[in-house]
Amino acid sequence: MSDVTLSTAPLPRRAKRHARRDLTSIGAVAAIMIVLVALWQIAAAHGWINGQLFGSPAGIVKTAQIALAQGTLVPDTLTTLYETVVGLVIGSGLGIGLGLLLWFVPRVSGVAEGFSVLLNSIPKIALGPLIVIWFGSDMTSKVWLAAISTFAVAMISSCAAAREVDRDLLNLFRSFNARPSMIFRKLIVPSALPWIFSTLRVNIGFALIGAVVGEYIASQAGLGHAVFVAGSLFDLNTVWLGIIVLTLMATLLTWIVQFAEKRIVTWKTKR
Amino acid sequence: MPVARLSVTDLTHTFEAEHGGAVPIFAGLDFSVGSGEIVSIVGRSGAGKSTLFNLISGLLPPQAGRIAVGPRADGTPGRIAYMLQKDLLLPWRSVLENAVLGIELFRKVTAHDLERARHMLARYGLGAVAQAYPHSLSGGMRQRVALTRTLLVEPTLVLLDEPFSALDYETRLALEDDVMALRQSNGTSVVLVTHDIEEAIAMSDRVIILGGRPARIEQALDIKLSVEGSRTAISAREAPEFRMWHAQIWGALRGHSTQLGGLAA
Repeated sequence: MSDVTLSTAPLPRRAKRHARRDLTSIGAVAAIMIVLVALWQIAAAHGWINGQLFGSPAGIVKTAQIALAQGTLVPDTLTTLYETVVGLVIGSGLGIGLGLLLWFVPRVSGVAEGFSVLLNSIPKIALGPLIVIWFGSDMTSKVWLAAISTFAVAMISSCAAAREVDRDLLNLFRSFNARPSMIFRKLIVPSALPWIFSTLRVNIGFALIGAVVGEYIASQAGLGHAVFVAGSLFDLNTVWLGIIVLTLMATLLTWIVQFAEKRIVTWKTKR
Repeated sequence: MPVARLSVTDLTHTFEAEHGGAVPIFAGLDFSVGSGEIVSIVGRSGAGKSTLFNLISGLLPPQAGRIAVGPRADGTPGRIAYMLQKDLLLPWRSVLENAVLGIELFRKVTAHDLERARHMLARYGLGAVAQAYPHSLSGGMRQRVALTRTLLVEPTLVLLDEPFSALDYETRLALEDDVMALRQSNGTSVVLVTHDIEEAIAMSDRVIILGGRPARIEQALDIKLSVEGSRTAISAREAPEFRMWHAQIWGALRGHSTQLGGLAA
């Protein structure tokens, strides 16, 4: 038969072009950052800007060396990473699980979604003091704050993903007399996977905010704690160091989620 | 007279309009499809073809009247499987996994089922791509996978809704042949819902023309074509009577549009 040819030929080429464009933009971002940091350092060194109020790249490097030597940087980073990841897993996990399972009960689904929209419109940060009072000032309260920050988003979007499943596919499954549990396992969950991953990516940021703000409110450790204390002492270099590590942490977590998505949702990326 | 594979008796269906009024779609529709018969249902858009499709496929319960699926030759219950213009392949499943979906949803897939699936895929020229994913296939190949999935549940009646209209002409003819071959191989009946008059004539034993509002069967034409040997998508189109049937069906459909012109405007 003449049309038995796999149309895979253009794919690698397109992928290569994409990769090249990615590399080019990463290079451009790096170059611009280097120039800005260099300007900042020159300005601080020549006293054009107040090093006390702005910090300086050299100061940040020195602060990092001291924080590493004193053994505070690594534990602080691990503390915040732990709070963020555990909070993200609990909050998103519960939200996604509940949101998808609500597909079985469309009547309840509307009510539950209403509640989660309500929960989502609460500024979660405002709940911080409550959470600290309930769960104490150690890591537990930060985990819960991170979890609450991610739960509603995860639930709303997975609820929508389950509801928005292709009508024609649903009808096809029904025409094959599929039981609801079969439809859920073999249609709803796989078609929701791309949405779930994009929710997870968004939630990394929310979980991090939850953890850091929790540390601002009351804590003994963590990057948020370090930034907060340094800020009140006008130690801008330490504040910058905290921001840089937090940014790297968020980037790393995003990469991990993207990597998992590429491995699991293969049919989307190959398109 | 053998029991019909599908019998539609006095089918009436009404939609509730938004303003509360009732819009009748069909009134007293009656027809049946015999074993190994191919019947096309044609009508202008809005004639209720899709609603009829949904009723026959069981997606929509009939409000009045009866839709009965006849038993197999051995007395076991018959079964309808359908295929749409969209292939509805699951992108996360390989071709083989897509093909056995219908079986998998009501019982465990056996080694024998997989063997049967591989065999049928090979017959449709898909043997080499059984492990590939749908996104790497052409439209015609994807539609053949959908056909395989439809046939693997061993339906007595295959219901097709504009199944080939998104395909190029050559592929479409090939798939029409595939469908026409079904009745020879296992006596499967086919109901084809389409707006493509040529396709309806080339493939069908009978063409049912829906028209009017509420829709009823305007005409049911037994299509006789003089072809040498068995009918194929091409030989049917080359038959001397082909133009005549085309003119007749076209006239019936158009006659309706002028009649309803004032209403539609």
